[in-house]
Amino acid sequence: MSKSFAVLPCNGLDKGAGCISREIALHLIEKSDSEMICPVLYRVADARYTKIAQEKPLLVIDGCQTRCASKLASEKGLKVTAKLTVTEEAKNRGVDLGDSLRLGQNEVKLAEMVADELLLEKEPEKASESETASDSEIVYPETYDYEVYKKDKFIFRVPKEGFLFNENDSWAYISGNKARVGVTDYVQQSLSDIMFFTPPVVGSEVEQFGELGAIESGKAVFEVVSPVSGRITAVNEELSVAPELINQNPYEKGWIVEVELTDLESDKELLLEFEGYFKILKRKVDDFHV
Amino acid sequence: MSEETFMGVPRNTIDWSPIIDFNKCNYCMECVKFCPHQVFEVRENEDKKFIVKNPDNCVVFCRACGKTCGLDAITFPDKGATTKKIKETRKGMAGNE
Ligand code: SF4
Ligand code: SF4
Repeated sequence: MSKSFAVLPCNGLDKGAGCISREIALHLIEKSDSEMICPVLYRVADARYTKIAQEKPLLVIDGCQTRCASKLASEKGLKVTAKLTVTEEAKNRGVDLGDSLRLGQNEVKLAEMVADELLLEKEPEKASESETASDSEIVYPETYDYEVYKKDKFIFRVPKEGFLFNENDSWAYISGNKARVGVTDYVQQSLSDIMFFTPPVVGSEVEQFGELGAIESGKAVFEVVSPVSGRITAVNEELSVAPELINQNPYEKGWIVEVELTDLESDKELLLEFEGYFKILKRKVDDFHV
Repeated sequence: MSEETFMGVPRNTIDWSPIIDFNKCNYCMECVKFCPHQVFEVRENEDKKFIVKNPDNCVVFCRACGKTCGLDAITFPDKGATTKKIKETRKGMAGNE
């Protein structure tokens, strides 16, 4: 059976990319059982759409990085199953989007291609990925001992032992030649409700300070800046269904990836232990957190 | 407010901040609005409507504003080279003590 979605396009009328989001949505409802959510009507009348969004996996289509559709989904507390940004899809396919608000040949073709790909997405591959995720032999502690810094109603935890941090608010927990990696409370508090996780590719190499996927809330997109260099051996599959685990505890169930380390000794030169990071965290919170 | 050191190294010895390609930029100002670190400054009455005013305020290895740019007009220095340079500076500093 073919896939179907509850499709929420941004339908931005004053940007070409927004107009393409609508075109993609049209293709999807024509070619499958998908249903469309109108972002304009949704603002004033939610009952009907909220039901659709609960019955089918929700696909959010943003035209550009202003992410209006994502923000709407976040406001409405919807669970996002898949998402895409038209400008990125265009970039990835080498399509140049013109300035016109009317769709030309390129735009129509792009919309069709994107829609077709969404409908035939390969499920089996995902299953094999999760196998690699579960075959890691290392047992990580269920919980850690935290030092806490409070500011107003916000609580920032930092684990006291066993973790290394970079100044970009990511951590690594090392065991043997492997590390589990995630973000700190500073990131999840700054983003507030995390609604989407874009995982990196398992098996790919990452450099220290390279990108390890991204997490996203109604407020912003945060690129995870890797504290270590190595090969990605697993991603936390649970985050794709429950990205809020990062809000609950980014050091425990909200971990992000596992990496096989290639140059830890050298990486360590640019990593901080608890004391160093805690100081930096306090300063950041005092300076920026409102 | 600005971070004066990164991993113990003086910030002003580290070359890390967004590089704007003003040929691609359409001045949507998403990047300027996004960054909380006063890296950019708006210049309403000039041709270039904003500039990278305080490069040393930029958080080393942050690339966040790059993500907000739909036109791909923002790039960053090479992170491998930057990492190497920071490590060298650290070694140099340790040697001087
Ligand atoms: S990279 Fe980060 S800190 Fe630097 S200007 Fe962009 S958003 Fe600001
Ligand atoms: S986000 Fe990109 S296009 Fe918009 S002002 Fe910044 S550099 Fe220019």
